[in-house]
Amino acid sequence: MRIKTPREKRILYFKTTLRWILYYLLILLSFIIMTSGTWMKPILLVPAAMCIAVSNGQLASAFTGAFCGMLIDIACGRLFGYNAVILAFFCALVSLMFELYLRPRFFNYLWITAAVAFAQCWLDYKFYYQIWDLADIQVIFRTVTMKVWLYTMISAFLIYPLYRLIDRLLLPKIHMTLEEAIRTN
Amino acid sequence: MRDFLKSTKFKVLLGLLAFLVGIMIYAVTKGGYAVSGASVINTLTKPFRAVSNGVGMKIENTIDKIEHAEDYYEENQRLKAQIGELNKQLTDYEDLKEEVEELRKFVVIKEEHPDLVITKPAEVLGYVTNDPFKSFTIGLGSEDGITPYSPVVTAEGLVGITIDVSAHVTTVRTILSPDLSVAAVCAASGGDHGVIEGTVLTAAENTTKLTHLSPDNELKEGDLMITAGNSGLFPKDYSIGTVKSLGFESNGLSACAVIEPCVDISRLSSVTVITDFTGKKEDSDADQDAP
Repeated sequence: MRIKTPREKRILYFKTTLRWILYYLLILLSFIIMTSGTWMKPILLVPAAMCIAVSNGQLASAFTGAFCGMLIDIACGRLFGYNAVILAFFCALVSLMFELYLRPRFFNYLWITAAVAFAQCWLDYKFYYQIWDLADIQVIFRTVTMKVWLYTMISAFLIYPLYRLIDRLLLPKIHMTLEEAIRTN
Repeated sequence: MRDFLKSTKFKVLLGLLAFLVGIMIYAVTKGGYAVSGASVINTLTKPFRAVSNGVGMKIENTIDKIEHAEDYYEENQRLKAQIGELNKQLTDYEDLKEEVEELRKFVVIKEEHPDLVITKPAEVLGYVTNDPFKSFTIGLGSEDGITPYSPVVTAEGLVGITIDVSAHVTTVRTILSPDLSVAAVCAASGGDHGVIEGTVLTAAENTTKLTHLSPDNELKEGDLMITAGNSGLFPKDYSIGTVKSLGFESNGLSACAVIEPCVDISRLSSVTVITDFTGKKEDSDADQDAP
């Protein structure tokens, strides 16, 4: 990796701080939207966490995933930490997948988000409804779980450009030496 | 000059003047009514005058605006400030009115149930996201004397029970939820009793279900169901809802009924929490028997 000058380091530090501030502002905005009104709403924090995991390291992604999960727990009245565990795990996994196997493209983000959102919704249905073996519980799966998943997927289309914009403006470009580039390829 | 005075032109002019004087005298004799000629002229020129007047007024106004722009601006600013002040007063008045309405409702609760110890009206902060059973959070918590499993009501009837109490926010489980069971009795007969418990299907309709009802019950549609008060979790004789329809359980051994809650649970703005009442179970017992 090329050695950075002190000025470059300062700019990098500033941009990184600003990027994370914007990430978290968007997360809080998503939380506020999720807790407003009485209509059924998408779990906006899942695509948001995935967006961050696509372009950041595993640790940062896991922490963000945990934070988003906690907010989901508050918004959805779930056991505090339940969704945090799920999202921290998935965020770290997604971050790893994008680092090793996948390119940060919209299609990859979309199917990954679809899978994670479905897993989150399905686990929610299993642990919060089906496990109690209530009568007509499949109605919940049809009318709530699947609907929420669908809404979440639609919201993913809107959330992705916002995070991409932040990344495009503030994510540091990776500069490799010629030797590193040759080794990588 | 002499030539002019002798000319026909002068004579015609004199004739005209005389004619006009004659008209004038005639007009005087009309007693306030216009002479027919004037009336015709008025009628014919009316639209043109109207247009002309409009244009004239516009021009005058424009000039007036330019001329008095500063005065108008000052007046405008003064009126804006006045409107702002009046709007503020109106908002305060609306807030006060709303508050009085809310407090009036809770006075009703105290009048009807003097044994109840209730909190101040609690604002509904929001509904739990995507919860099919309409759980919601309120802006009061343990610092306001709320404990878990306290009944939540409005003046109209029972809403639910507190389940997750933090310092300033509490989550309320509603009577639409299958996780909350309330012993209920018919207010009219006093003999027909059962357990009110939500189901997935009834919750979708904002109703709940009365189960464990005797097959030979005398309930009919419209009957009011009230709390039986024998669990120690809910005060006695508090309205829950009315019977919407009657039927039998799938096993055929007991009857059931769909209950329409007295309160529209999907559109709550404020509720109150009953912190103490006659016959309340002690906290340790309540924990064991938590619904």
